[in-house]
Formats: sequence, structure tokens, C-alpha cells
Amino acid sequence: MAHPETHVDPAAADPITLQVIQARLAGIVQEMQNSLFRTGFSTIIRESQDASCAILTRDGEVAAQHVVLPLHMGAFPACAQGVLRNYPPEEIHEGDAYITNHPYLGGSPHAPDMCVMTPIFFEGVWVGFSSTMAHKSDIGGPVPGSCWSQAREVYQEGLQVPPVKYIDRYKTSKDIEEIIGCNSRTPELVVGDIRGQVGAARLGERRFAEMMAKYGRETVLACYDRLFQLTEERVRNEVSTWPDKSAEGERFLDSDGIDLDKPVRIRVRIDKKGDRLLFDFTGSADQTRGPANIRPSVVRAACSYCLTALTDPALPTNQGLARVVEVNCPEGSVLNPRFPAPVNTYNPTVHALVEALFEALSQLTPVKKIADGCASRSIIIGGRNEKTGRSYVQYEIFGGGSGARTGKDGVSGTNVNQSNARIAPIEIIESEFSTRLRRFELVRDSGGAGEFRGGLGFVREYEFLNPEGRFSLRSTKHVVAPKGVEGGGNGRTGKGILNPGSGDEREIPSRCSDVAVRRADVFRLETPGGGGLGEPLERDAEAVVRDVKNGYVSPDNALEVYGVAVEESGGGFVVDETRTAAVRRERAEAGNESR
Amino acid sequence: MDTGGTFSDFVFFNEDSGEISITKVPSTPKEPFQAVLNGVRELLDRGVPAGDVSFFSHGTTVGTNALLEEKGAVTGLLVTEGFRGIYEVMEQSRGYGPVTYDLFFEKPRLLATPYTTEEVRERVDFQGNALTPVDPAQAAEAIRRLKAKGVESVAVCFLFSFLNLDHELAVKEVMAEEFPEASLSLSCEVLPQIREFYRMSTTVINAYIAPVMSRYLGLLETRLREMGVNTPQLYIMQSNGGVSTFRTSARIPVATVLSGPAGGVISSLGASGKVGIDNIITFDMGGTSCDVALIHQRRPVVTTQGRISQRPISLPMLDIHTVSAGGGTIARIDSVGALQVGPDSAGADPGPICYDRGGENATVTDANVILGVLDPDHFLGGRLTLDKGKAESLVEKRIAKPLGLSLHEAADGILRIINVKMEEAIKAVSSQRGYDIREFTLVAFGGAGPMHAGRLALDLGIPTLLVPLTPGVNSALGLLMSDVKHDHVRSKLAPMQELGPDDINVLFDQLRAQAREELSGEGFAEEDIVLTPYLDLRYAGQGYELTVPCPTPPLAPEDMELAQQRFHEVHEQAHGHKAESEPVELVSVRLVSEGRVPQTRLSPFTATGKSVDDARTGERRIFFGRDPGFQDTPIYDRDRLEPGHALAGPAVVEQMDTTTVIHPEQQARVDDYKNLIITAKG
Repeated sequence: MAHPETHVDPAAADPITLQVIQARLAGIVQEMQNSLFRTGFSTIIRESQDASCAILTRDGEVAAQHVVLPLHMGAFPACAQGVLRNYPPEEIHEGDAYITNHPYLGGSPHAPDMCVMTPIFFEGVWVGFSSTMAHKSDIGGPVPGSCWSQAREVYQEGLQVPPVKYIDRYKTSKDIEEIIGCNSRTPELVVGDIRGQVGAARLGERRFAEMMAKYGRETVLACYDRLFQLTEERVRNEVSTWPDKSAEGERFLDSDGIDLDKPVRIRVRIDKKGDRLLFDFTGSADQTRGPANIRPSVVRAACSYCLTALTDPALPTNQGLARVVEVNCPEGSVLNPRFPAPVNTYNPTVHALVEALFEALSQLTPVKKIADGCASRSIIIGGRNEKTGRSYVQYEIFGGGSGARTGKDGVSGTNVNQSNARIAPIEIIESEFSTRLRRFELVRDSGGAGEFRGGLGFVREYEFLNPEGRFSLRSTKHVVAPKGVEGGGNGRTGKGILNPGSGDEREIPSRCSDVAVRRADVFRLETPGGGGLGEPLERDAEAVVRDVKNGYVSPDNALEVYGVAVEESGGGFVVDETRTAAVRRERAEAGNESR
Repeated sequence: MDTGGTFSDFVFFNEDSGEISITKVPSTPKEPFQAVLNGVRELLDRGVPAGDVSFFSHGTTVGTNALLEEKGAVTGLLVTEGFRGIYEVMEQSRGYGPVTYDLFFEKPRLLATPYTTEEVRERVDFQGNALTPVDPAQAAEAIRRLKAKGVESVAVCFLFSFLNLDHELAVKEVMAEEFPEASLSLSCEVLPQIREFYRMSTTVINAYIAPVMSRYLGLLETRLREMGVNTPQLYIMQSNGGVSTFRTSARIPVATVLSGPAGGVISSLGASGKVGIDNIITFDMGGTSCDVALIHQRRPVVTTQGRISQRPISLPMLDIHTVSAGGGTIARIDSVGALQVGPDSAGADPGPICYDRGGENATVTDANVILGVLDPDHFLGGRLTLDKGKAESLVEKRIAKPLGLSLHEAADGILRIINVKMEEAIKAVSSQRGYDIREFTLVAFGGAGPMHAGRLALDLGIPTLLVPLTPGVNSALGLLMSDVKHDHVRSKLAPMQELGPDDINVLFDQLRAQAREELSGEGFAEEDIVLTPYLDLRYAGQGYELTVPCPTPPLAPEDMELAQQRFHEVHEQAHGHKAESEPVELVSVRLVSEGRVPQTRLSPFTATGKSVDDARTGERRIFFGRDPGFQDTPIYDRDRLEPGHALAGPAVVEQMDTTTVIHPEQQARVDDYKNLIITAKG
């Protein structure tokens, strides 16, 4: 914060004012977020709520963020760095707005995530940034939705916008708007959403300036430093209670989308000493030809996410957290690719990364263990609306089962880890797009067995109603199963099937783009269940009966995997105690012998 | 009468004399109707013949508690074949904020389990066409299975049932045949509105609490009739701010579960309306939480995105914003030495330190005692003596010392932090929605509301603060000021430009017939029925629709344009921009039907001519923050204040259930209805 015109008096930040400013900042980002959700035009913002808001310092450090998607935490500073590189302070004016979606020159995880950043001015002095980031339905490129699973460089991932001035002193660049609109299959939605983002950022500017007017510029800026410090201390204090040691974690991705039979390794070694943590990713795969790569800013955000989850979920999200994360990402690896390596399908990689991180961190914090979950996936259906003649992009995001936790079963039909999108209502989907849902239900036996069972994945079946359309899937864990821990079984893998049960049934890989579909074709997606935790034979027999009753576990599985004999009696289900005891004893003995 | 957790509040209004009297009787949580009867008995003991009671209205938490404590009926659910996932997956997301990071999160428990969920072979498409008709034999089988599993109440929610009611109605017929003894909730009757999970959640909650509520209301009605109360109707408060008959509430009880704070909003509306104030923000602060709501041009803001313990309820309800901030909210120093206030509360037991019931945590109430705002000897009219010394020594030790502050600065700091949280809540309902806060009056009630509201008004720039005469029984008072109110909705997603006025008129005709039938069945004459039409509109492809007033049906072609014009205006007001070139879509048509009931007519008081000094009971030194520090502050007795009296801050006004603080920068006057009107000096 060493700017000559923003001299800071640390004494201004008394402990009371500090909390007052913190609550005000939280209020401002919340207000921005409400505005963004309510004015969003595309399904992806308004129904899935794939968007975040932040207030940043002049240096681009996050002062406050509304947590919807934890990964955006790392994206905001990187986007600000891009803006600051391109525009010296004398070119930053009140009423400007900058945009970028560039993964290398800005900090966007992938091109569809568009960042809008506006400078905040107070009494004529530039004091920080107000910013929003939101996923766009389509930004061009070979496939609807812009995430081509066979992309080999970022040039194939849609329009790349470097950090540029989109609005100059309240005057919108029509040129830029036209260029962006003209490169999208859904120009109205993309431009409408960007304008909504500007609206939310302007609201942040206004509220922030009002806050400065009330409490004084110096006071607010002094509070920043102290708030960052407090967050940092809170994490470091917790970390220093963990044992000093090194721990490792490893996970594999199904593939990079091009070399379909080659799983991609993610590896981390964490060296913990005192209140310091070093995350070393040496040993992770080389950068991939296909779009499985992620940028280091995303790696740092993933580390921050895990730390928050394990130390204090209510931690105020600011730059102080980022200071604890020391990272070594070897250049040229899947976690630090060289330009112009493709990055569009970054999310499966982040899920594998987060699971590797939890595997390593759980060796440092043994009381909190969690099995792997379903990760995340999206389907994109592109077509032309027969009524309006306009092209459309139907984009949906799905979870599955979460991994079992120490002392608790996993959750069924949910998002996990850094993913947190709402499911779009079927009645909205069918009203707006030419598809019809045929099935939406949990998948029996998909949760990994264990003393604590993994959550169940679900199935969605779509029937295409347009004469022709194009279809893409960006999923993972169709090959590599969600891993169980401490003796728990793996969750069931996901699956994508075209025309199930018909003569031309075929399975499609977890990453695939631009599958041509015709009227009456059916696509069935099964999402993965979560891994189990602990020995299935140790699971409470009553819990197994309850699972059978509710259809989560089949009677056969109850016997074979859990060693619980469930009998149907009078329309209900009960445990056959004698048989269960015998089966469980036998299994336990067999288990001991094989050990 | 309004049932609370500890006390039930009764407000009696004498239509002849205009006199209002108040009684509190202990609540009887095991047999909730007993407290109601006790209160009525007390009224009768005062010599009022039961037959003279002309209006009876009741706020109950029976449905709410059944839901919160998960003590509802064994509930079955019938869904479209292949679509069990709608209820189980819910929204798929975890909510935002800390829960995003919580690896141990849980979804709310399913009120209808998969075991008691059955599928019915049927399907309707997005235009309301039946793709697969209901097969009564297959439906009967599903229903018989539910019956065999011991189900008591059944919810039915099929895809697109808001467009085509026939399939759910067909199941209703089968139910009458196969399982007539079960309670039945159809989504097309509870909430015929688009977005299946929210409609389903609302319908399941209705089914879950319907048997409990109808049992309670039936019992209560019988007993009241036995006592001789023979009013034509008995009324229940609903979450939408209107009342409904016992009969309707037994059928759609989900409409009552968030009614608790609604009474307070309605009585604030009544009190402010009497004195010509149209724009208010209500501020109700109690022991653990504070409820805030906005009323613009005498119309309370309504939402269809309510929730109770994470479960969505999409019926229209007063949009009341709640934050964890109350007298019992705890202040503590956290692991890195920062002062945190809330969100947890010491509740009533052990309560604040000064209650001396073993509380170890400093609370907002302790801070108020230390600062001198609360009189330790006259808390709750002297019913409880507060231990100021204990509060001082613990706050000194736990808060002031570690922060390097004086005791009074620390106590003042606790208030500043809690106040900011409440100010953010007020902004969330006002400036965040595009309202200019300077055009509003803050109406403060609840045990702690009038103590904090003065500071909030000053900080937020709200020019006027109104403290009603009986701030402790505001919710009960609201029951006497509510009309009967029902909400009717039908969804139809279509671009406005593709619709003719008649497409909408057809829907309004259906809703109006339905509304008239319902109200006349409840005994309302045509002239007492008011129907208000609304349209839910959005920009094509946009997410959340806005409800805008609609011209009176039947609509003419130019009304279609007028409605869209209004939508642009409302959109600009709410979101700061409009897009007049974008096509507008209809999502739903709505009709609010109101039956006017005889209202409590508050009448003005006449001053007896006593001077304000007669109301003065003493003086205390109160700390008003670092600047201006301690002030000698006169204390007044609310009961002795009369119309026309004026007070200059600093001053404190005490009454049985609350204390009002008038800051040094403020002044107050007593209006003709004995409201305290507080404004900035000068």
C-alpha cells in the first residue's frame, strides 16, 4: 500500500472500527452479488449462479469477496495485475471499466469467465477496484459453450480478450461490444451479462465511496492491512498446532480430452514447519496437449480453498489468506503450462488437485478426513430455436455424490469442493430449450461402501427435440473412480451414453465435444457417487436397512458388501440378526487371514 | 392473540370505547390451545360476555414448530414417473458463504422419504399438453403402497402441473377412492407456479404440517365455541401479512409458518398510517434476532423466495430480513485478538452475565447495562434485577483489557459492531433494492428495538424514528389490523409480444372466480371483496421475475403495453437499469384477494394538561461513545407521557417491556396516538 497519495495511519484502525469496516465490506460485496444475480440474463448466472464479486486494493489484492465460487479468489488479483500491466495509473480514470477473459494475460480460469473491473475513486483519488467475474454462455470457438475438449491451444477456446478498456470515463466502447457480440453464438446474453456486471461493479464503487466518506480514507486503508493480518494470523495459528512433517497426495484425471487412454497425474508434497506451509507440485504431469491444464493462480486458489475448509469455514476471505500459501508449480507442467497451452476444461483438474491436497493435508490434520467426491461436470447443447431462428446454448452443471466424512455419510445429489452451482429447473429448461427430460433420479449403489457411505450420484436422461443439434460433455471420473478412505470402497464412476438400450447405443468419453445429435436421440448421463470411509462391515446394520428401505443400497449389495442380511416383512425391511452376525464374522475372519 | 415462546400476548380492543388493553399469559407449549383458552377466560372474567366478541384473530407457531422440530405427519410424495431426483437433489448447491467451505455440511432432512415416495406414470409438456395421461389403476397401486407404509398425509407434485391441473386432480379422485382418510396436498392447489423443486418443497411442507394444524385448529374451534365465542369466523395470521380463516389455514397451513414477525409489520403499518406516514422500515429486535422489513407507499414488500430451516417455501410472504442480533448476542475476543460480536446468542438461559444465571459471555444487554442505558433495578418493570457489577468486571476482564480499551469504550464498541450488522440488514431491504432511505421512517419495537434504533437512524440518515405505544405486543396488535388475504397464481411462460390480452384475461377470469368463491364461502359480501391483479414479468431469458401491478382485467390491447412499461420502471427501481429494447416475458399472473374485516380503529388520546416534568422519574449518567462521552440523562416514564410532550436528547424513556434511547443529537415528541416521534435536532 505504499502509494504517496494514500498515506496510512495505522492507529486509525482501532479494534472496533476494524470490525465495523469488515462488516461494511461484506455488505458491499453482498449487495453487488445480489444485483448481479438478479439482473443476469443467461441461465448460467441466474439459475446456476456461476459468478462472483470482489473489492480489491489498488495493487489488486482482494479486500473482500462474496464467496460463491472459491476459485475466483485467485482469479481477481491476476486480472487486476493484467490491467495494471497494460494501464499506468495516469491512464486510470473515474468511470472506466476494464474487461478481460484471458487466462495468460489476465487471470481468467478459462475464456468463458469474463472479468469486469472498475476503478474506485474517492474525492478524485483512485483508491481500489470493484470487480465481478461471471461465466458466459458462449464466447465463440469451434463448439457451443466455447469449451472444446480437443483444443490444442487457447486460440481454439473462443475469443481471447486481453485486459482492455471497455468503458472510458463512462463512455462505452461500442467497438468492443460489437466485437464480443459478433464472436458469440448468444450475443444478446453475453453483452447483456457484461452490462449487468458493469452495473454491479458501479454499485460497488458507489457503496465503497460512501463508506470512505463516512469513516475516512486513511481509516479504511489502515483497516485493510490489519484485516489481512488477522486472516493470515488466524490461519497460521491453526497451522502451527499441526505436527511438523511432510505429507504427499496424488490423484489422476481420466484424460486430457485428446489422449483418451492416458490418465493425468496430479501430485503434491506439503512441507509443514511451524506456521509455514510449502505446496510443491513437482511430479505432476507435464502440460497436456488437450485442455486439462490450469494456471498457477487457480492452483493457489485451490490451496486457499482447502486451507479455509480445514481451518475456519467462516474465515474472512482476503489477501491475508493468499499470503500463507507458498507454492512451487514447475513450469511446463499441467499446473503451470506455457502459453498458448489450452485450459478450457480446468475444473476436473482442480477437483483432482483438491482431492490430492486433502489427502496430504489429512495426514497433518487427522481428525478431519474426507473421501473423494463426484467432482463436477457440465453439458452443453447447442442448436437453433425453430420458433425464433436464433441459436441457443443450453448449459447445465451437475454434481453427484460427496465423499463420506469422519463420522458422517456423504451427501447425495450435491456439488462438492470448489463447485457450487444450482441445478436449473426442468420446467425452465424445457420451456426455453428444445429438449425433454426423461429421467432424473439417484443411482442406487453408486455411493462408495463404508462404515460411512459415500453420497449417491444421479442420472439425467435427455431427449433431443430439434431436427439436429450439437452436444458436448465436460466431465471426469468416468474412468478414475472417486477414492474411498480408511477401508471404504470407491464411489461408482460416471457414465455418458448415447441412445441407451437401442441398437446404436454407445458410450461417450468423459470429455467430448460437438457430438452431432438428431431429433429423438437420447443422452443419458450418470454422475459419480462419493467414496466411502471405514470398513463396510463396521457399518451400523440399522443404517444399512434404512439405505435398503430408501433404495440407496440394493439388498444384494447389503449382503455382499456390508454383510447385512435384509429381509422384507410386511411391506417393511428388517435385519436378519442371526444371519448378519454369521456373515459378518465369516467376512472378518476371511479378511484377517488374507492380511 | 399471538403465541410466543415464553408468553402469549393478548390485545383486547373495545369497539364501543375504543380502549385497548393488554394481557400476557404464560404459553403452554405442550397443549398450545390451552394458553389461548386461558387468555379468553381472562377476558370473560372481566365481565365481557363471550357472545359480545365480534372478531377473533390468532397468531400461532403450531405449524412452524412442527416443522422446526420435525414433528409433522408421516408424509408420502407422489411424483412424475422417473423424477424422484427433484426432491432429493433439491437445489444441488450448498448455499453461499461459510457453508461453501464446510466439508461436513448436510442438506435438510427429507420430510417425505424415498421410502414413502411413489411414482405415477404421467407426463405433461411445457405447453401443458398431456404426453402420457394418468393411468388410474397404476396410480391406485402407488397410493395403496403409501397406505401400507403408514403414510398419514400425501403431497402430489407433477411436472408442469401449473399448466395442466388435470393429472393431479385425477390423482385426487383416486385418493378419494383408495385413501380418503389421508390428508392431501396438491401442488396445483398449493402453488401453481413454475420451477418444480420450489413448488414441490412448498407442497411437501404443507402435507407435513397439515394434519397437525388441522387437529389444533379443530380442537381450538370446538373449545372456543363451547366457551360461547360465536363470531362468524375465526382467523389465523399468515406469512403474507393477511389473516385467513381456520378452515383455509387447515387446508394450506404452509401459508402460516413464517407469520411470526408478520403481525409486527402490519401493526407498524397501522400505527404509521394513522399519522400519515406511508414509507416505513420496521425494526423488531428481541433477545436473539432482529427482523427488518420495508413498506413502500403503504405496500409491504413481498417475496416468493422464503425459507425455513433451509427448506424453500415459495408462497408470497412479507419479505422480512432476519439477522442474528439481539440483546443476548455474545461478544468475545477471538483466537487472534479481534473483537467479534455474534452471531451466537446466550439466549434467555443462561442469558447475559447481568442476569446472574451463570452466563459467562458478555452480551449486548450487558453492554447496555454498563453504559447506563438499562436500569439494573427496573428491568422488565422491576421483574428482574440485573447484576451490573458482575457485567462490568467480566467485560473489563474479557473484552476491555485485552483490547487496551476502557470499560465504557469496550461496551460502546460492542454496540457499534452489533449496530453495523443491523444497519446492513436495513440497507439490504432498502437501499440495496433501490429505495432512498431518507424517504422512510424507522418504526422500532421488540424488547431491544427502541434501545438501538436511535443510533441506527443517525448512522443511516433516516430522518424520523417512530416508537409505537406498545412496542412489546406489536405482533398481537397487528392481528387486529389485518384483512383476510389470499394469494392466487398461475404460471404461463411466454413472450408478451406473442400474447393477446385474452390469453391473460382467461387466466385472470379463472383466478377471479376462484378468489370470489373462496371469499364468499368465508362469508364476505361482494362489497367487502377487493381483488388486485399483478403480473410476474422478466426480460426474455432473464432469471428472476418482478411482480408488477397490472391494469384491472379484462385487459385491453393497450394494457399489454402499459404493463410492460411498468415493468421497465420497476426494473430500473430495483436494479438501477432497464432495457426497453429487450422483449419482455410473462412468467405468471397473480391475484391478491382481500376480504375487508372490521378493523381496530385506534383513536387519538387527549392530553390531560400535565407537564412533561411529571413524567420524569430521575436521571442517570449514560456513556454515549468517546464523543460526547458521559452525559447526565433524564429518565421518563412512558406511561405518563402525553400528546404534545417534547423531550430533548439525551433522554431515556422507560416502560414495562422496553427502553427507548434518545441520543444527544436527537429530540422527541409525543403524538396524538402517544407514539414517540424522534428526529434529529435543529
